[in-house]
Amino acid sequence: MYGWIWRHLPGNTWVRALISLVLVLAVVYVLFQYVFPWAEPLLPFNDVTVDNQ
Amino acid sequence: MAATTDTDHEEQTGTPGPAPAAVRRRPGRIALAVSVFGELLITAGLVLGLFVVYSLWWTNVIADREADKQGDKVRDNWAQDGSASGGPGALNTKDGIGFLHVPAMGNGEVLVEKGTSSKILNDGVAGYYTDPVKATLPTSGKNGNFSLAAHRDGHGAKFHNIDKVEKGDPIVFETKDRWYVYKVYAVLPETSKFDVDVLDAVPKASGRKKAGKYITLTTCTPVFTSRYRYVVWGELERVEKVDGDRTPPKELR
Repeated sequence: MYGWIWRHLPGNTWVRALISLVLVLAVVYVLFQYVFPWAEPLLPFNDVTVDNQ
Repeated sequence: MAATTDTDHEEQTGTPGPAPAAVRRRPGRIALAVSVFGELLITAGLVLGLFVVYSLWWTNVIADREADKQGDKVRDNWAQDGSASGGPGALNTKDGIGFLHVPAMGNGEVLVEKGTSSKILNDGVAGYYTDPVKATLPTSGKNGNFSLAAHRDGHGAKFHNIDKVEKGDPIVFETKDRWYVYKVYAVLPETSKFDVDVLDAVPKASGRKKAGKYITLTTCTPVFTSRYRYVVWGELERVEKVDGDRTPPKELR
C-alpha cells in the first residue's frame, strides 16, 4: 500500500520524500482537527460528571 | 489497489537493484494481501498512538489557551465594572462566574462556568451542575450544594490532582467581590457514575445531615478512564470581602 503510493508519486526521491511528508502532515492535521474530536465523545475515557444516563 | 497496474508500473520504473531480484519481486495475490493487511495494522497502531497524543497533550494545549482567554475576559470585565459603577453588578453567567483555587491540586486558578456539558468543560474550565441536580451558587447566599465537575485528563485536566486533596484542605472560590473559603471534610475516592445523590443539597453520603453551604467537586477516576467518579466535599468556612488589591485569603498565600 505505502509502496504503491511511493511508486505513484512524481519526481525523484527527494521530491517524493517531500510530498510524502506533506501527505503525512495533512493526514495528522485531518485526524487532530476532525476525526479525533468526533471520536472522543464516543469513547469512554473522559466522562467526568455523575448523571442519570 | 489493482495488482496489475502495480506490477506494470514497477516494470516501467524499475527499482534499482540486482536483476534477479526484479524477477522475484512479483508478489502473488496472497502475499500482496498479507502485506497490505500488515500495513493497515501498522497504520491502525500509529493512529491509536496519535490519539493518545491528541487526548493527553493536544487537548490540553487547546483547552489551556481557551481557558486563559476566557479567564482574562472575566478579569477584564471585573476590572471595568469596578471602575465604572462599583455596585454589585449583575452576575454574568455566560463568560464564567469566578475562579476556583485548590492549593492542594497545585494548578493555580480554574475558571468556573455554567453547565457540565463536554462543550463547556473542554475549554479547560470547571462547570457547575445544572443537571441532574442544580447547583446552588455561593453568591446566592442560600444553603445548598455548589457542585462542580472538570476533566481529570486532557482538555486542561483541571482536576487531575484531585487525589492530592485531603480532609482539612481549603478550597477557595473567588468571585468579583467575595472570597468563599471552603474546607474539605469528606472524600469519596470511587463511586458509580449513577450516584447523583452526591450532588444533593445535603449530600448524605458525605456524612452531613443538616442543611448547609457545601461544595462538591466531581471528576472521573481512575486516571485515563471514566469507570468511576471521584468526589470531594467541602463546607463553607467563611466569606471574605475582596479588597482593592484583591489580596487573597491566607489559605492561598
